[in-house]
Amino acid sequence: MKKSAVFIIITAVIFLTAAAVCIFVFSKNESDIVNIKSGGELLYTIDLSKAEDCEFDIEYEGRVNTVEIKDHMIRVSDADCPDKICVDTGWIGGNRKSVPIVCLPNRLVIEFEKSSADGFAG
Amino acid sequence: MKIKNASAIAVLLLLCGCTVSEKNVSEKELFAMDTYMKFTAYGDNSEAALSDVIEKVEELEKLFSVTDESSDISRINTAHGCAVNVSADTENIISRSLEISLLTDGSADITVYPIVRAWGFTTGEYTVPSENIISGLLENTGYENITLSENTVTVPEGFQLDLGSIAKGYTGEICAEMLKNKGVSSAILNLGGNIQTVGEKPDGSSWKVAVTDPFSQSDIICTVEVRDKAVVTSGNYQRYFIADNGKKYCHIIDPKTGYPADNGIASVTVIGDSGTYCDGLSTALFVMGKDKAADFWKEHRDFDMIIIEESGNVLVTENIYESTAFSDSENITGTEVIN
Repeated sequence: MKKSAVFIIITAVIFLTAAAVCIFVFSKNESDIVNIKSGGELLYTIDLSKAEDCEFDIEYEGRVNTVEIKDHMIRVSDADCPDKICVDTGWIGGNRKSVPIVCLPNRLVIEFEKSSADGFAG
Repeated sequence: MKIKNASAIAVLLLLCGCTVSEKNVSEKELFAMDTYMKFTAYGDNSEAALSDVIEKVEELEKLFSVTDESSDISRINTAHGCAVNVSADTENIISRSLEISLLTDGSADITVYPIVRAWGFTTGEYTVPSENIISGLLENTGYENITLSENTVTVPEGFQLDLGSIAKGYTGEICAEMLKNKGVSSAILNLGGNIQTVGEKPDGSSWKVAVTDPFSQSDIICTVEVRDKAVVTSGNYQRYFIADNGKKYCHIIDPKTGYPADNGIASVTVIGDSGTYCDGLSTALFVMGKDKAADFWKEHRDFDMIIIEESGNVLVTENIYESTAFSDSENITGTEVIN
């Protein structure tokens, strides 16, 4: 085999390995990671693909949102805010990596680190 | 040796290529204008530019707020018919809203605030006002009654302005201009579901903006690809209540009737160069209904739109129909091109 052919094969292998490393490093589970912020402060970063089913409260200035994780999805199951928009948003996770869950009165935001789109109009 | 060097360079380039979009990214978020905003910008100057943009948003909020007693809008609303000196931004946004009102034959009108209040949409204490109350309040509305003259605004006694239907679009547009002036060529600004993009993504591709499913808000109906455009949605799912009679009333008031718009539309998304125009139009087109909205588009053709009907039928203007990626949502019952 010619020397140049060997180099081409080596180059191709290095290329493919580098590409695989890139894909692994930059895509590992990122799409399943949600950040939970209250009053602008990051409270939790949760990998939904590994999260156990659970329910917990988040308090902000005496008001409470109840967050539920089930079957690798997350939602606000209850809130003492007046409009309940956060509860109405429903479950996010799985194929629903879209709009963040926002509770304006209680300053709560639950959003994916990497969403399925760059922005969500609505 | 040359080939070896080429291999090394190629690998380096490939690795650099993987990281280019992650470098120099800045994010800022805030609660303002009764919504959650998140701004993402790319490039060397993005951090400083976004800090300035946040300051501008806070400044505009103070000018446009209907609850802050010292805002330009509150001062206009409590001036008992006197002329009020206002900032250049307030004059500009009112001027732009009047243009849109004129263009849409009053389907968008910033003077409907007294009626919005009567329905309880400002407090969450919802009620269906009597016909007498609505007809009385309608006498205190009408954009034609706003007088704009050399930094002053005058509205008749009893009139009240609310920029809620246009403020986020205007703010997004102003912020995008600021970012461009500061050398930022790639950014996406999310003002509570009101999207303003600057340029294209750092990798040169288009921004993918999803349109929320009005029937299931954690799902999407479709995704559009945009560069340097605003994408704004008005929908009946954003704020509404169901009255004792079982009827659903949404927060978008038809300025001609004083009642919430109810014409079979679930949401209207407008895509265009100007955030202000898109925001104002999304409300106006929602009020107009499907047929008049389509006629309006045919007449002007300076924007694109996606109308989602209550039936699940999705209408898309011809320029973006091909590039619109529809989701596999069961809520979509059909798609149509407007041409």
